[in-house]
Amino acid sequence: MPLTNLLCGLLETGVNQLHQLDSSAVSKRKQLNGTIIAASLKELKLPLYFIISEQQVDVLNKFEGEPDCTIKVSFQALNKLQDNRQLTQLIKSGELEVDGDIQLVQQFAMLLTDMQIDWEEHLSQKVGDVIAHKFFQHAKKAVQTTQTQYKRIEKQSSLYLTEEVKVAPSALEVAYFSDQVSRLESDTEQLLNKINNKLEKQLNDLSQSKVLADKK
Amino acid sequence: MQENPDNTTHFGFKTVEEDKKVELVADVFHSVAAKYDIMNDVLSMGIHRIWKRFTIDCSGVRQGQKVLDLAGGTGDLTAKFSRIVGTKGEVVLADINDSMLKVGRTKLRDMGIEGNVSYVQANAEELPFPDNHFDLITIAFGLRNVTDKDKALASIYRVLKPGGRLLVLEFSKPVYTPVEKFYDFYSFNILPKLGKLIANDSESYQYLAESIRMHPDQDTLKEMMNNVGFEGTEYFNLSAGIVALHRGYKY
Repeated sequence: MPLTNLLCGLLETGVNQLHQLDSSAVSKRKQLNGTIIAASLKELKLPLYFIISEQQVDVLNKFEGEPDCTIKVSFQALNKLQDNRQLTQLIKSGELEVDGDIQLVQQFAMLLTDMQIDWEEHLSQKVGDVIAHKFFQHAKKAVQTTQTQYKRIEKQSSLYLTEEVKVAPSALEVAYFSDQVSRLESDTEQLLNKINNKLEKQLNDLSQSKVLADKK
Repeated sequence: MQENPDNTTHFGFKTVEEDKKVELVADVFHSVAAKYDIMNDVLSMGIHRIWKRFTIDCSGVRQGQKVLDLAGGTGDLTAKFSRIVGTKGEVVLADINDSMLKVGRTKLRDMGIEGNVSYVQANAEELPFPDNHFDLITIAFGLRNVTDKDKALASIYRVLKPGGRLLVLEFSKPVYTPVEKFYDFYSFNILPKLGKLIANDSESYQYLAESIRMHPDQDTLKEMMNNVGFEGTEYFNLSAGIVALHRGYKY
């Protein structure tokens, strides 16, 4: 299937390019040298075989040998994989199925997800230290500003909706309204009880007077 | 079927004496070896990587196996196989052309691939290996340059282990006429010009285009493989038959 071949190719190139930038990748690959891991997403029926060697990671979508470890994982659980404590939980909840050495799974997850890439350093080799530093300083600042702006806009728009145009209630109003509703509920219940009691009493009186009339 | 009674064979569209073809093909590859990889990428628009990936998927190769990458050129397949078979396995990169072999060896060593790869200059018609030796033999874009293809296939059959398989990745005949028209235009008008532009060598690429036309089509090659003893032979058309992958087993 050329399309899956293309996918494997892109994945392989992507992973290996990132590994080129990550100084810790070599030692991680050395630990796993010669391991073959079959991994598939539960959502897709497409097994991928990762062949890890000292030089690089190879991705195949057909392999007739015996992989050292088979992993089936659901899409949401992907980034929880690198956390040791969550692994057993994931297996219990059925989000992760492992056939083979569980330690390999952790190392494999680390290899793919935990890349320590110093982007600033790599950029500085291309454009020089000063520009790289300035660029990252501005980028960080820009991210921070957007975050604060986003929070401010969120707050302002909620105020506008509740206070200015009054299309939505504020939190206090909602609380007050639900208090009222529960009070109404309890009042109604009390009223219902009272009526019930009254009716029962009258019924009793009625039956007693009937008995008396019969005796006479 | 390739030979005429008077001991001549084809070299592209030309007819040459049988014992001259080896030299002529060698000249072509001596002259393109240095730029072989970059030309592959440019001329096939990178698609050759997908063809090779497909080949590896069909190879069924495992750890510890012995692989022969025949006419392996600059070692694209060898590199992958070397990583798959691991330290217990063995990959032999064989090519008849020592320029290509040297380029391949330098490239693989630069990539850090060593230990389980050996390099052999060999003629596919008379392979210098014992009988029943390899689990897998691949010949990617090489069979068409072999003078006597039947002899080469028989020789491959001999060195293959029972249960082993042969993969032949080679240019073939497009299955749709429009594709064929475009392909003809591309290979006779554009390809030699690109060859001239990048490698400064239009004749070699003219030869490439011509030799592809002279190569047997899918069913003929399948028949040739059956004739030397391969079983379960099948082929997969890739990119609408511009390239076909033939697979045969020895039982």
